[in-house]
Amino acid sequence: MRYPHLFEPITLNKLTIRNRIVSTAHAEVYAEPGGLPGERYIRYYEEKAKGGLGLAICGGSSPVSIDSPQSWWKSVNLSTDKIIDPLSRLAETMHRHGAKIMIQATHMGRRSSYYGEHWPHLVSPSGIREPVHRGNAKIIEKHEIKRIIADFKQAARRIKAAGMDGMEVSAAHQHLMDQFWSPRTNFREDEYGGSLENRMRFGMQVFEAIREEVGRDFCVGLRMCGDEFHEDGLSHDMLKDIAQAMSETGMIDFLSVVGSGGDTHNTLANCMPPMALPPEPFVHLAAGIKSVSKVPVMHAQSIRDPNQAERILASGMVDMVGMTRAHIADPHLVIKIRDGKEDQIRQCVGANYCIDRQYFGQDVLCIQNAATSREATMPHTFEKAKHKRKVVVVGAGPAGLEAARVAKERGHDVVLFEKNDVVGGQIVLAAKAPQREQMAGIIRWLDMETQRLGVDRRLSTAADEAMILAEQPDIVVLATGGVPNSGMVPGWGVDEGLAVTGWDILSGKVEPKKNVLVYDAVSGHAGFGVADFLSSRGSQVEIVTPDVKVGDDTGGTTFPIFYRRLYAQGMIPTPNFWMDRVYREGDKLIAVLRNEYTEALEERAVDQVVVENGILPNDTLYWSLKERSKNQGITDVHTLFASQPQPCLSEPLQGDEFLLFRVGDCISMHNIHGAIYDALRLVKDF
Amino acid sequence: MNFPLALTGLFWLGAILLSLGLARRAALWRQGRAAQVAWSGLFAIPKRYFVDLHHVVARDPFIARAHVAVAGGAVAVLALAAANYGLMLYLPALDVLMLLAAGLMFAGAMLVRSRRKSPPARLSKGAWNRLPRSLTLFAIGAGLAALLAISGDALGSAARLLALLALAGLTLGGAELALGIGLGGPMKHAVAGLLHLAFHPRQERFSGNKRSTDLKPLDLDSNEFGVEKPADFAWNRLLSFDACVQCGKCEAACPAYAAGQPLNPKKLIQDMVTGLASGDGQGYAGNPHPGQALRGGDAQQPILGGLLAEDTLWACTTCRACVQECPMLIEHVDTVVSLRRHVTLTRGTVPNKGAEALANLRDTDTVGGYPLAARYHWAVDLNVPVLLPGEHADWLLLAGEGAFDMRYQRALRALVQVLKAANLKVAVLGEAEPDCGDLARRLGDEATFQQLAGKMMSTLRHYSFDHIVTPDPHLFHCLANEYPALGGNYRIQHHSQLIAELLAKQQIPLRADAETSTITYHDPCYLGRYNGEIDAPRQVFKGIGIKVVEMERSGMKSRCCGWGGGASFTDIPGERRIPDMRMDDIRATGASQVAVACPNCTAMLEGVVGERAEVVELAELVAARLAKA
Repeated sequence: MRYPHLFEPITLNKLTIRNRIVSTAHAEVYAEPGGLPGERYIRYYEEKAKGGLGLAICGGSSPVSIDSPQSWWKSVNLSTDKIIDPLSRLAETMHRHGAKIMIQATHMGRRSSYYGEHWPHLVSPSGIREPVHRGNAKIIEKHEIKRIIADFKQAARRIKAAGMDGMEVSAAHQHLMDQFWSPRTNFREDEYGGSLENRMRFGMQVFEAIREEVGRDFCVGLRMCGDEFHEDGLSHDMLKDIAQAMSETGMIDFLSVVGSGGDTHNTLANCMPPMALPPEPFVHLAAGIKSVSKVPVMHAQSIRDPNQAERILASGMVDMVGMTRAHIADPHLVIKIRDGKEDQIRQCVGANYCIDRQYFGQDVLCIQNAATSREATMPHTFEKAKHKRKVVVVGAGPAGLEAARVAKERGHDVVLFEKNDVVGGQIVLAAKAPQREQMAGIIRWLDMETQRLGVDRRLSTAADEAMILAEQPDIVVLATGGVPNSGMVPGWGVDEGLAVTGWDILSGKVEPKKNVLVYDAVSGHAGFGVADFLSSRGSQVEIVTPDVKVGDDTGGTTFPIFYRRLYAQGMIPTPNFWMDRVYREGDKLIAVLRNEYTEALEERAVDQVVVENGILPNDTLYWSLKERSKNQGITDVHTLFASQPQPCLSEPLQGDEFLLFRVGDCISMHNIHGAIYDALRLVKDF
Repeated sequence: MNFPLALTGLFWLGAILLSLGLARRAALWRQGRAAQVAWSGLFAIPKRYFVDLHHVVARDPFIARAHVAVAGGAVAVLALAAANYGLMLYLPALDVLMLLAAGLMFAGAMLVRSRRKSPPARLSKGAWNRLPRSLTLFAIGAGLAALLAISGDALGSAARLLALLALAGLTLGGAELALGIGLGGPMKHAVAGLLHLAFHPRQERFSGNKRSTDLKPLDLDSNEFGVEKPADFAWNRLLSFDACVQCGKCEAACPAYAAGQPLNPKKLIQDMVTGLASGDGQGYAGNPHPGQALRGGDAQQPILGGLLAEDTLWACTTCRACVQECPMLIEHVDTVVSLRRHVTLTRGTVPNKGAEALANLRDTDTVGGYPLAARYHWAVDLNVPVLLPGEHADWLLLAGEGAFDMRYQRALRALVQVLKAANLKVAVLGEAEPDCGDLARRLGDEATFQQLAGKMMSTLRHYSFDHIVTPDPHLFHCLANEYPALGGNYRIQHHSQLIAELLAKQQIPLRADAETSTITYHDPCYLGRYNGEIDAPRQVFKGIGIKVVEMERSGMKSRCCGWGGGASFTDIPGERRIPDMRMDDIRATGASQVAVACPNCTAMLEGVVGERAEVVELAELVAARLAKA
């Protein structure tokens, strides 16, 4: 029997769940205006249910009260009866596929932003400001406590009425309930502060109200932190006391434990552990809670692999495993595990594109799976095309690999040219950066899938016009990527060999020198990656950027990881400076920097200048094939953006005619998701 | 010289020699234990010979014709000689008939001769190679003798020479028959074979259409622990070994032999012959057990370690391909299991994972050592009711051991989907379902089998249901065929039979737009050969618009996947793996999918590495074509 623990059903209260795998509560940022799940939301979850998931807990941080804002991150709104209908549609959909569905309910307290929506005055036990969300708050009054408890009760009524299988109350990441618990935020001297019993009082009253509403048999859980990782915060021992007390009330059917507080930028980065952290970094905290809990314990945080999940369950540390990002990357994860197709799992690599978008207030998208949350238009599985075509894809970076994969899944004959001897394009370089090695996982899957499906891959083959035409293609997809845009400012002297590019360093073409200035005009992962690469090999590194801070475009759970390394390794951050030129003086290079705001010039004498300035498209093949192609290389954006087939696909091809398209960076610089989405949305209709 | 008188003398001499030989051989058979068998079987010989035996022989038309001619001719010659010369009637009319009979026999002998010219590898050589010569001599002798009698004095001086030739032919050829039984020559088969038909250990094989494939229970309370030495076999079993004609049909059908494992079923039977006659075994002139030297034995000495290597015993998959093929109706599988029983029940030394599987069965009621509650984990989200005492279900689904295998759970889910789509009221026993005991029984652990069977029967007594359905042919076979001897009688269907019925009644809503496809089908031994069910699965495929391209070895001639009889647990090394060979059979059809209808075939074929056909379970194919609810 494979995975005997993973596929052992579990019963929470009266609810039997088919396996131990959970998609835990997370902010999806998909709700329709008013905080109501719509088609996109439901289909996002339905795909996981179809994929064999046991339990989904949707609606991370769904507020129960109108003074806990939801609109700026499109959360589900549990403060209105309007939620009942859409939730019942969701529940019915999930049940149809044998999965169970709960929703998280909460009041965020100070963990929000007051501006927008109703412009509420946020409430917190002692009115302490929350730094990450810039959450200024007032001291909560007893009538507000009463009102909010009543709101929880109403939310419970709505959840049960909708036919959901249960509700989870959040006291993790410093929501209102754990703001009461935490000595960091609760300095009250009334019956809600002081002793642990007093600090737990609000939570107890919330659960009493919920139970009064839903009765004994409805499944109600509690999500809590295992350690806030703050000197003045909730320690693991305190949280064990709380867990024991809460589980002994008999009001709670399960505990869900996460490691780390989340009210500072640095702790927040732990909550959804990015690839830099080890696998399951906080499972020991959940195991500690389980040692005192009277109810089953679930835990999510970087459990991405079936064997890992099975091992964690087998060791008895927890009772259920959250594989949440793992499901964002591959909603069919469970069926693939079940059916022995582990090799076909598109495994989460912890790039945190999903959560980093969420912290920008953007909808959650997967860096590698462009169909996730686009189920209405983008397929996770493919039907064979009616007419078999010959498709030639040039370039085996993420866009080209995805194009080849999708075309082959559609049943076409696919030839994939790649000039290097390995596939992966720029991701091969991205994975060279320290603690970014798992980026290679994105390519590993595409590599294995294109091989499994039988794409005719021609590596070490720089395709030219003649080679492409010799294949007698019906469709040519160019995914030729780009080259470093390092010639944009001639003064950098890249052509003269004064400055070098990030690619030169990461590829090993140029040896790192002692004293290095990294000029990062893009502030993405690439510039910081090369700086870290140099620093980790002993270089003294200064990162200069015209942006407001270094790594500015890398998202809320990623830049803190960079910054830990930046400060620990003594890299020097110099934001707000342009680099005008580089010249040689003796055995040193002099970089001339200009302050964005004062225009004052500064100079640095260094051994090496590395420029990261994004990508310039490789479009030679495009221009040589454009005129010959039937569609003149034109992609119709109206149909493309409407997820419709390109009109030219329906016209018959005569003789040597072929269609020409481009995807990814060879049009203009996008990110990995953009490259893969370009390919999927175009090629799915071939 | 009075020629007719000489013939009379010769006839009676032969008859006496044959009788003495038979007495000698019978003494060897009587070393065996008593058997419950009626002497009246002797009267049934003609029917059993011409119907039951000929039914098997007729599968090879050439050899059937040869045998009809040569044996029919010989029997007629002997009968006529007995009457005309034995009883000294000397009627010319009978001589004419004898001439015709001799002619027929001569023609048959010529056919046998041509067969022996380039014999297939499975045929034993040695003494068997002289048979065409002996038969020809006898036919010529008999023909000449008849001719002489008919022609009277017309032949003149040539008559003397011809008479000498006739007597020489009859003497040399007749010696083969007269001495065969006593000296263990090839013609032993004629006498032993006919007696074997009379005293066959499975008399039910000859009554109606009933198949007899169940193993017989041991009376453990009377210390019946299987067979240790040749003399432990019942006397009619020893007799049955002597019926073997060494044609090697079993050898050619045996999957273990083909895989180069140390088992040749023909040699196994000959080993028993060597044992019962306490010989050195060196006269055997067929293919050996692969990798094994020829060995001798003694009727009173243990078979294993002497006559037989233990590995030979554990290589058998109990697939019954040998029994199915045997023209002499010998029961190879009974022989193997009798020997296994002794090893398992007295020493417990079952090789490799066999002992562990048996220990698991004793300790946990499952082969794999699983918690019983895990058997229906796969069904949790399908809302299949778990039957409780006091409730009633139309159909009780017994999932068997396959329910613990994640691959097979896919098939089980599909089956439930199909049965639900047909609006059948199906329930399961949940953690109350014990093991059926199949594996224990095949590995010779009769005690554990009887214990498990008892548990299954007493469990089933607590529940109310109309029918049982199972996708596991082993479970099906046990309940349908082996439990009756222990007092359990159930209405049970294999899922292929139930689905075929439901399709025939149009009770399964199918998608109209389902694509037609071509597959090949692998018959499970325990459904096909053990239960004769080779049609229902094919009706299912036809019913859902799937075309089956048959493998060369299919239906009743299907090749085992290698699991049966616990062979996947005892895991005796060979030169190839049986499932790999079976996948080669599948590849030869060119089909991209192979349908299976057994959890064990599923596991074995799924275990084949490299490029291969996709393994799909019958229920999965149906489920994929269900109309959307």
